[in-house]
Amino acid sequence: MLRVMFRLGCAGMLLIAMSRSALAVEVTLLVSDAGGKPVADAVVAFYDGKTPAINPNAAGKIVQKNKMFNPKVTIVQTGTSINFPNEDTVRHHVYSFSPAKKFELKLYAGVPTNPVPFEQAGVVTLGCNIHDSMVGYIYVVDTPFFAKTDDKGKAVLKLNDGQYSYQAWLPGQNKPGVEQKITIEGATEVKITLP
Amino acid sequence: MIKFKHIRSRIAFTFLTVVVAIQLAGLLPLKYALSKHADTLAAEQINVGERVFVSLLQHNTQSLKQATQVLAADFAFREAVATNDAETIESALESYQGRIRAQIAYYISNNDNLVIGTTDNEQALFGSNAKEDARQAMLENQSGTLKFDIIAGKPYQLITVPVKAPETIGWIVMGFAVDGRLADQIKQLTHLDVTFVQKTHQRDWQLVSSTSTRELSNLLVKTVADIYRQKLSLHRVDLNGQAYHLKIRSLHETKDDALLVVLQGSVEPFTQDLNTLFKVMVLLTFIGVLIFAALIWYVSRKTTEPIAALVNDADNIAMGDYEKEIQVNSTDEVGHLAKALNSMREAVLQRSLRIQRLAFNDELTGLSNRLAFNQGVHQAIMTHADNQQKLSVIVINIHRFKPINQTLGRDFGDDLLRHVGQVLKQNVLSDQDMVARLDADEFAVLLQQTDQAKATRYADKIQQVFERPVSVQGQAIDVRTGIGIALYPDHGLDEESLLNHAETALQESRAKKSPWIVYNTALEIDQSETLTLISDLKEAIQHDQLLLYIQPKIDVTTRRALGGEALIRWVHPEKGMIFPDQFIPFAEQTGVISDITNWMLLRACQVLAGFKKQGLHITLAVNLSTRDLNNMELPEQIGHLLSSHGLDAKSLKLEITEGSLMQDPERAEVVVKKLAAMGLHLSIDDFGTGYSSLAYLRQLPVQELKIDRSFVMFMDKNSGDASIVKSTIDLAHNMGLIVVAEGIENEFVLNQLAKLGCNEGQGYFIGKPMPEKDFSIWLERWEGQNEIDIDIGDDLSYDINPLEIDQQAQDPFKLDNLGE
Repeated sequence: MLRVMFRLGCAGMLLIAMSRSALAVEVTLLVSDAGGKPVADAVVAFYDGKTPAINPNAAGKIVQKNKMFNPKVTIVQTGTSINFPNEDTVRHHVYSFSPAKKFELKLYAGVPTNPVPFEQAGVVTLGCNIHDSMVGYIYVVDTPFFAKTDDKGKAVLKLNDGQYSYQAWLPGQNKPGVEQKITIEGATEVKITLP
Repeated sequence: MIKFKHIRSRIAFTFLTVVVAIQLAGLLPLKYALSKHADTLAAEQINVGERVFVSLLQHNTQSLKQATQVLAADFAFREAVATNDAETIESALESYQGRIRAQIAYYISNNDNLVIGTTDNEQALFGSNAKEDARQAMLENQSGTLKFDIIAGKPYQLITVPVKAPETIGWIVMGFAVDGRLADQIKQLTHLDVTFVQKTHQRDWQLVSSTSTRELSNLLVKTVADIYRQKLSLHRVDLNGQAYHLKIRSLHETKDDALLVVLQGSVEPFTQDLNTLFKVMVLLTFIGVLIFAALIWYVSRKTTEPIAALVNDADNIAMGDYEKEIQVNSTDEVGHLAKALNSMREAVLQRSLRIQRLAFNDELTGLSNRLAFNQGVHQAIMTHADNQQKLSVIVINIHRFKPINQTLGRDFGDDLLRHVGQVLKQNVLSDQDMVARLDADEFAVLLQQTDQAKATRYADKIQQVFERPVSVQGQAIDVRTGIGIALYPDHGLDEESLLNHAETALQESRAKKSPWIVYNTALEIDQSETLTLISDLKEAIQHDQLLLYIQPKIDVTTRRALGGEALIRWVHPEKGMIFPDQFIPFAEQTGVISDITNWMLLRACQVLAGFKKQGLHITLAVNLSTRDLNNMELPEQIGHLLSSHGLDAKSLKLEITEGSLMQDPERAEVVVKKLAAMGLHLSIDDFGTGYSSLAYLRQLPVQELKIDRSFVMFMDKNSGDASIVKSTIDLAHNMGLIVVAEGIENEFVLNQLAKLGCNEGQGYFIGKPMPEKDFSIWLERWEGQNEIDIDIGDDLSYDINPLEIDQQAQDPFKLDNLGE
């Protein structure tokens, strides 16, 4: 994990330098499970090893509504702060014991005063101490190339031609998919199978 | 098939068999059903117990799970887990384990092999086995089943609860020992004995804990091991003589290890109740059968009693009791049967009466017949024997019935018989007396309690009645009867002998023409001897076995031979010489005497004719019997004989006894007078022995009187005899009769007789009876000696020895001498 974070850091730098020159092709991602079924809300991140995470949206938010985290899966680049506005009439106690980011928003209603910053790349599992059923995921990545699949397991990512490595996650699954290497040359379709 | 003496036994047996069979048919399935039911109940109990057991475990599990979940949901604990704070985790587990009374508690991390436990047993926690178990437990926990395991040789129920943050990051595992406490708890709820049995790779089957006795538990372990091997879950076993249902459930099972719970329910409590029920049923059945048996017995008795009564009645009828009417008490079939029996009885009674009438009655006269009379006499004898009284049996016979029947017709004869029967009946002495018709013209009368005087009085009365002519069919007819009387007990002790003797007396009465004769033994002759002799005698006449003997007769004064008395001898081919006294009496009774007389007359005539040819004019005397004197044709026959032989009537003398004259004096008189009229010489034989009156004799045309030899033989020694002889001679001479003396045995007597004036004489001194040829020789000699002296013709008496004197003397056939 530490190794990944390091690499993400390096890649983020490179990405910023490269991004100006040319964003060329659209890469279509099709994620399916071992049985070939399309997987929704799967998270895919591509690394070129030179483009670092850029932080254009320093603040994001995950709303708690109907005793659910909305969106359930959120992908942010490192350094992003996320607020957890409570739109339910009941109070929530949002917490995370994940190593990437440990935090606790003790019983509150409405919008907390301070958003929570996520500096470290990794998966943060969100829970509510009051409502055990509430689960949310924040994927903190140190690359600008990432996407979340739609209902059909499909996501589109704009990438320059070049060499990448990529990884996919399925929320709720502890381990990510195996990191793969790929060379992008023009628009292409990448099929990812999650274990 | 069993044979029964009584119908009621058969009914009772049949119905009882059916009843018992039905009861057994009911009881056996009941027994089967009850034991099956007991089994079912026991099985049901086991099944219910199992459900309760499962439910209990689930409930236990649930509550333990909830308790464990409390820990798992604790934010602080989760934080400790999330931060891998091993010490905190362990202490938290420790305190919580104590709170929920778990024996084992440990935490297993989700993403690595972190295991934190409270147990001291390192191997339990960190052994590869334990880890694997834990993983398995997690998976199974998620599928919601119970999880048991054997950890460090001890069985535990494992409760696994995920720790969520909020995703599952690890599991808390709580282990609760499977021990007696659990078993007790289960038993309390299920009422089944609970036994836990386990097997590990180190140890074979062993008992973990049990609520039942140690002995039974140990037994159970072995049984269960077997059952387990056979993969059976429900089983019925007999342990220590009791039936148990076992429900075996595997709580934990791996290649080497196994933990089984055995729920065991005894069938006993169920069978106990059902057995009691069955026993009650058997008892009720038994009582029912008894009651039924009594009922059947009673009903069948009631049914068959009238039948038995009828059988009794039928037996009575069979034994001849037709008089008693059979009671008809009901209108059912038995009643009908009784009615039928009754009418049968009446019909039989009528028929039997008719048969009796036929058997015991004489149809013609309406009197009893011989059979009835015999019975009547028999019964009378019995009563009279008791009372030592006399009774008399009288047999009455109608003389000349046959010619009456023949000449006047059978109808007339029948009427006559009826009339005679009436007369006999009207004159009986008492109501109990009995009159019967024995034969065609023979009647019998039984007079009860009568002595001889009474009996003869009755006979006299009958005689008197018939002295006057009887009027039958408008015709007057003279009826003559013969009567024989026999008295009980004097003349016989049974009916047969009485009747026989009465008949013998009747014969005598007829023979002697007496109004009646009372039986006496003198009448008896040797019946058996007689019977054979009768037939022999008939043959003798035909085959010339008879011989004519002649006893000479002389003139007492001149001593000249006059002739002789013709006597008969019978030379029987087997018995030799038979003297007349042995066959003449029965010849008289049977009538053969007529033939003999005829033979004698013929032979006498032949002899006389022979002497006449020689120029000898002698006389021969022939004896006539009673029958001959009643034979009206006799004079004619004799006349014919005399003329055919060219003989003069004077040469034949006829000797008749007083008795033969007295039998039927009137008839005899007729015949005698006819004979006398023919010029025949008649002589009264054996004079002095009979009872004939001289007055009567005087009326008869008799020329001669023969003094019986009993007076003559000893007149030389007995003066009484001599005076009788003398007065008889005088008397006879006074009546103008010639006197002949028999039995002259010496010269003295002969001289004496000559002095007394006796005319003729015969006897051994003069000559014994001798054959015809010898008589010729005697004549010559006698005439030769006549002038000189008289010699005893000993040499001529070769066939007569002195011992035969008596027999010869009694000979009714004696040669008479004719005084020319």
